[in-house]
Amino acid sequence: MRYLVLLFLPFTAIFLQSTLFSFYTINGALPDIVLVTVACYAILNGARKGAAYGFLCGLLEDLYLGRFIGINALAKGLTAYIIGSLQGNVFRENILVGVLGVVIATLINSGFLFVLNLLNMELFHFDTIIFHALLYQNIYNVLIAVPVYVWFYHSSRHGILGLTGER
Amino acid sequence: MFRIFKNKCFWLFFAIFIFSLIMINFTSSAREDITIVEKLIRDLYTPLQSGVSEFRDNCAALPVLFSDKKLLSTQIGELKKEIEQLSLENQALREYEAEAKRLKELVEFKDATLESYDLLAASVIARSPNNWNKTLVINRGSKNGVEKDMAVISPDGLVGRVGSVSKNSAHISLISDRELAVGAVLQESRETGGIVEGIGNSGLLRMINIPYYSSIKKGDRVVTSGLSLTYPSGIDIGFVEEILKEPNGLLLSATVKPAVDFNKLEEVLVITGYRPQLENDKAEE
Repeated sequence: MRYLVLLFLPFTAIFLQSTLFSFYTINGALPDIVLVTVACYAILNGARKGAAYGFLCGLLEDLYLGRFIGINALAKGLTAYIIGSLQGNVFRENILVGVLGVVIATLINSGFLFVLNLLNMELFHFDTIIFHALLYQNIYNVLIAVPVYVWFYHSSRHGILGLTGER
Repeated sequence: MFRIFKNKCFWLFFAIFIFSLIMINFTSSAREDITIVEKLIRDLYTPLQSGVSEFRDNCAALPVLFSDKKLLSTQIGELKKEIEQLSLENQALREYEAEAKRLKELVEFKDATLESYDLLAASVIARSPNNWNKTLVINRGSKNGVEKDMAVISPDGLVGRVGSVSKNSAHISLISDRELAVGAVLQESRETGGIVEGIGNSGLLRMINIPYYSSIKKGDRVVTSGLSLTYPSGIDIGFVEEILKEPNGLLLSATVKPAVDFNKLEEVLVITGYRPQLENDKAEE
């Protein structure tokens, strides 16, 4: 059941991003709910499990998009590994940890995507609009991170996800 | 220091990393077709996305029920006047069309207007789920005759081209996407050689390769040149907003505002029966 829920989350996130949220953008920027889910999971479950989950969620997103398969998988996997590494040093009960984790994850993920796009000769016009999009995406992600982290934390402690973090 | 190389996890991570890089390289948008797994995932999403799209359309119709009757009757009056004006304009245009046809027959000019293509109407059911790509998803797929690289238009102008197709849906790459480039001409002066490409997040387009002696000016209408295997000629792309000098001094570039508002697109038309002029000529030979 736990794995079914974990599979259902990115599936629903992609569905919401491509439909509901695509019509309600903040200054043209979409949230990355898949990343929010991955970051919350990584904070609560550690680097290795976070990386594996991030990679699989990114892969699902890549397969849906149908081009450059592996780009989101790699970016989200690596981001989750870095965020998950903080697990032993932070106070997970504090919601601010979740929010800050998502902010850092958004920045790291965008950095990885940028580098991977460049590596793939996807050179584009580097302008400040990218930074604006990143700023607004961060605001959107933070708004979504609050309920998602609370749900993740409670489901991991007492609910369907059951805490299995690395100690 | 080298202890890390004895770690199995490190090698697993390394193998996944290399495998992913290879996969990214092999799955660029230039590939012929998407895999069965991708098609399955998309077809799984299509009914859900269609449902949301229909629900949204129904909700959009609701406010009409509560609108002010006076306001509605004024709007109806205005629209009736507009219809009358357009009907008159249509009559005149029909005359011009008949005249143009007669003249074309006289000079044996091959017809390449939009009327000569097969158009397939489709609804936009979803959009790109991230900020990096500019795509739309439509509710028509391979079972409706949609194929990769077909041009997609709206009544306002060029939207983009079909990027990939599954059985029940197709992903459309917008002209504002960085990956797309379209051959373009200025409608009035018919100056050729320009290429319009997407800039990305700004939603604007950039026209490059314009010679320095070009008479291009702000407000000029940019249309497709037809010098490609994908886009027919004469489709509106946008309007010139700003003209810039390239550093080499020999060429100009221009910022183009798209004729289509991509954020408000709800229905599009896929050109399914386009045969480029070059192919027609070859077939005749």
